[in-house]
Amino acid sequence: MKQFEKIHYLKYSIFHPFDAFYEIRFRGKGSGVLAACMIVLYGILACVDYQYTGFVMNDHAINSMNSISIFLSSSLAFVLFIVSNWSVTTLLNGKGNLAGILTVTGYSLVPLLIATAIKVFISNFIIEEEIMILQVIMGISIVWFLFMMIAGLCVIHEYTFGKNLISIFLTFVAAAVILFLGILFFTLIEQMVSFFVSVGEEFFRRL
Amino acid sequence: MRQIKKTFMGMLLIFCMLMIPVQAAASDGTSYVYDGYIYDYWENVKESPAAFMLEQTISQETMGDIALSSVDDVCTSEDGRIFVVDSVESRLNVLDASGGFLTSIKLIRDADNKIVIDENGQQVMLTSPEGCFVHEKNQEIYIADTGAERIVVLDLNDYSLKRIIGRPEDFTGVSEFKPSKIAVDEADRIFAVVQSSYEGILELTSDGSFSGYYGVNKPRVSLVDYFWKSIASDEQKEQLAKTYAPSFNNVAVDGEGFIMAVTYDSSADDMVFRLNSKGENVLREEGNIPVMGDVISMHESDEKSQFVDIAVTDYGTYACLDKSKGRIFLYNFDGELLNVFGSIGNLKGELKEPTSIAWQGNRLIVGDKTLKCVYILGPTDFGEAVLEGNESYYFGRWDEALVSFERAVELNSNYDVAYSGIGKNYLMKDEYEKAMYYFERGNNRSFYSKAYNGFRSESMEEHFAIIMGVFAVLIGLLIFTEVRYHKKGGRQR
Repeated sequence: MKQFEKIHYLKYSIFHPFDAFYEIRFRGKGSGVLAACMIVLYGILACVDYQYTGFVMNDHAINSMNSISIFLSSSLAFVLFIVSNWSVTTLLNGKGNLAGILTVTGYSLVPLLIATAIKVFISNFIIEEEIMILQVIMGISIVWFLFMMIAGLCVIHEYTFGKNLISIFLTFVAAAVILFLGILFFTLIEQMVSFFVSVGEEFFRRL
Repeated sequence: MRQIKKTFMGMLLIFCMLMIPVQAAASDGTSYVYDGYIYDYWENVKESPAAFMLEQTISQETMGDIALSSVDDVCTSEDGRIFVVDSVESRLNVLDASGGFLTSIKLIRDADNKIVIDENGQQVMLTSPEGCFVHEKNQEIYIADTGAERIVVLDLNDYSLKRIIGRPEDFTGVSEFKPSKIAVDEADRIFAVVQSSYEGILELTSDGSFSGYYGVNKPRVSLVDYFWKSIASDEQKEQLAKTYAPSFNNVAVDGEGFIMAVTYDSSADDMVFRLNSKGENVLREEGNIPVMGDVISMHESDEKSQFVDIAVTDYGTYACLDKSKGRIFLYNFDGELLNVFGSIGNLKGELKEPTSIAWQGNRLIVGDKTLKCVYILGPTDFGEAVLEGNESYYFGRWDEALVSFERAVELNSNYDVAYSGIGKNYLMKDEYEKAMYYFERGNNRSFYSKAYNGFRSESMEEHFAIIMGVFAVLIGLLIFTEVRYHKKGGRQR
């Protein structure tokens, strides 16, 4: 029964984001698991979108598709956003915790998911002149997603609108820093590994 | 140590390979076959059989006593004669269809075979000519006599002088009257290119009077330049380097009477032009990649293709000659890239400084200035299929086009253009489902959309009852739920 209530609040958050995210923040009506599911679903849907969008709208080279990289790049972007937003807002006096941010992000994705699914389905039955209709649908869903996101973060962190925008801007800066450090880390590790491998190789050759 | 060993082995391998005689001949031992390629929808290079192979070379050896010191332009007449312009020896050499030497023109003679004397008492002699054009309609050959700043018109059959067009009286502009390449359209208007002129193509009426400059060649303006120009004061603007319109470098006339031109100026926005009467570029670019020769992607520092000459068939298929890499690009009238072949080098069939290209039926004549030779290229099986397919399609012979394109696909199953060619022919016959299949393989989305439109309305008509039924049921359900909801609501209230 409780699960049904969670799903009910997911639906509620789409049409009444301020109220729903308030309930989620203060009365624990949200579900991190459900939100995580949405992010995973988004990654899967990105693959589906890549492969099954109708030929008229689909410019992708399907024969060289890499579903793992599509899945990771689309879903990890949100994970990166969540982590960097959390790290920025803890410094900026934000009241939200990691689970809250995850919930907001996951729930906000729902309009995007629905629109993408509709687009993938309908795009198989359209001609070039009708592409615009689907682009309008996608545009609306993106605006909806952004609105829910901003509203949700406002409520979760108890921010004013202006401060929320600043924190989102800083989130992207933090994300860039995280990416930079990540790449640095991996390249250094790679060099280290290759060093040990060559030392080992040398050792066994001289043995 | 290992590194040195590796290098040594590599050098040994290269040395061994050098010892093996390079075989430039094809398996049948007659001719040199080029390596061709094409770009796919995602601008990747895909190997393809070359559309042309070397059939014959015309060089000093085949010319007899006449010295051949340069090849600046080639043109052909309908009966297959080849005209080769040599600016160093100042000669127009005439060859027969198979490259045999016919005659060479330097001194101009009149119809009675007398040497023509001009008003200064000088013999009329070609002086480093750079271009020629055969005008079939009036049986004339036009020679751009660049050094003497005139255009010489000869009879196509006995090469006697018809008229000389000198610098027009009312000539305006800053360009010199040094016609380098020349073309004449169906209305006998003369279009002459003056190299490095930024005013456009010189247009003369048939009697040789000046009628204006023709053609718009837009320069590419970079955003940075635009920014600096927009904030500069008037004095500063005068100091800045002026952006001139890039010059045209060659002209041709297509089967519909449009002037086609090319430019290799790096500041030009377009490379190939098909000019309408207003001088605007109306080149069709319906292909998957733009008409620009090699596609330059961001990570490639390769230089751009530089088109020196263009040759057009009467069915709109044109060949562009790239001087930077010695490649020949074939496009059909829709601007779809058909094939690319050729290279710079010293082997038989390769080019050094290509200057000119012309069609001789389905064969290509290519001239090279440094190698001092003219290549006659004949279509391969693949090339023949491609050219015939495009010709039949252009003239609306769907069945023949279908056969040719199917043969092209047999020879190269990665060939997008042929797939979409097959599709177009099925589309013309209203066989939508087959057309869709082939357009999908040919990556032709706009035509796929057209075929699908037909297919969709056909299947809609077929299943009209079912679709309307489902629709009616949905509407009914909607009304039913609405009514029930309001009844409930009423009771609750």
